[in-house]
Amino acid sequence: MAADGHGHSPIKQFEIKEVLPIDLFGIDASLTNSGIYMLVALGLIFSFLYFSTGGRNLVPTRLQSVSELIYEFVANTVRENIGTQGMQFFPLVFSLFIFVLVLNLLGMIPIPGLTFTVTSHIAVTAALALLVIGIVILYGLYKHGLGFFGIFVPSGVPAALYPILIPIEIISFISRPISLSVRLFANMLAGHIALKIFAGFVGLLLGAGVWSILAPLPLALTVALTALEFLVAVLQAYVFAVLTCIYLNDAVHGSH
Amino acid sequence: MASADEGSEHRDGQISPEERAEFKRRSAEIGRRLEAARPETGQNGSQGKSDDSASREVMGRALRLSTELIGGIIVGSAIGWYLDTHLMPAVFGTKTWPLMFIVFFLLGSAAGMLNVVRSGLKMKTGPSDPSKGKAVPDDDDDS
Repeated sequence: MAADGHGHSPIKQFEIKEVLPIDLFGIDASLTNSGIYMLVALGLIFSFLYFSTGGRNLVPTRLQSVSELIYEFVANTVRENIGTQGMQFFPLVFSLFIFVLVLNLLGMIPIPGLTFTVTSHIAVTAALALLVIGIVILYGLYKHGLGFFGIFVPSGVPAALYPILIPIEIISFISRPISLSVRLFANMLAGHIALKIFAGFVGLLLGAGVWSILAPLPLALTVALTALEFLVAVLQAYVFAVLTCIYLNDAVHGSH
Repeated sequence: MASADEGSEHRDGQISPEERAEFKRRSAEIGRRLEAARPETGQNGSQGKSDDSASREVMGRALRLSTELIGGIIVGSAIGWYLDTHLMPAVFGTKTWPLMFIVFFLLGSAAGMLNVVRSGLKMKTGPSDPSKGKAVPDDDDDS
């Protein structure tokens, strides 16, 4: 059935399909499957947090303790990386973490013909990373004024080395949003492609006569990869949140 | 919210300084007892972090390193390429093609190395000093 490979291209799952064409003053603002997934994620996050914290029991119910665990987890990450005064950024970090986490996990739910991983598109991850780095720059300038650019001047080196070291520091700073976005996008993209390819091998081997005896091997690998993908989905959301904290730390404290 | 409802004699959630001090003493006491009751996990001074969260952090950092280097190289090369092909010919009218690219490729590689070394150092020393950690969960504490 799948022997010809048509309709089983491993990158077909990343196609963006227009669902509801919207033209906003000449800008193509159509609702796509990506946008629908994001809206679904927002709805899930909002309703989960709203209903799980609605009771506000002193002894939490199961749902409430789940959202309290997520809160504690993110709050500890923020405190460890920025310190207590970094808690003003808690809403930002929490939103980013749970948004990326839910999008990653939604991409792991197989719905024939519909499954889509929003975070496997660099446009999305780059937008999130630019938001983070924009806030770092704006808050750094607001807090430290032009002294914020002191983070580009390494301490404890002779001034003669500045012409080499300052460009290096600037490039290092610019590379942050890039590595932040590329990491998330590449991990999700590569993982889902690998999953699809190995799953495709099952069908190809089943149609290959005597070799179909080997078909359980890629099937087992697919199962293992699925577990790994769940780990990666959670871990990448965590890494994104931690790096956001580390970059915000520069803006709050002014130096490395 | 809940604490105001529990202590029925304290309306508006107002508590006197003595009671506040008493509350702090008790919360510190609970924190100490929790620390004592918790089994010793991890190596020296991991402040009651479970093995689970420690391994999660290590994996997170390991995954982070791979793209740090690449990010620096990409940015350096892109800046060099832009200078060579757009800025230099437009501003000075000179052809500088591989020169700037090579220089900024090297600078970008250095920046990538710097990124890796920085996160590596952070790995060794841990993300924070213990003073930033919290002993007792106390959200009302503004200090």
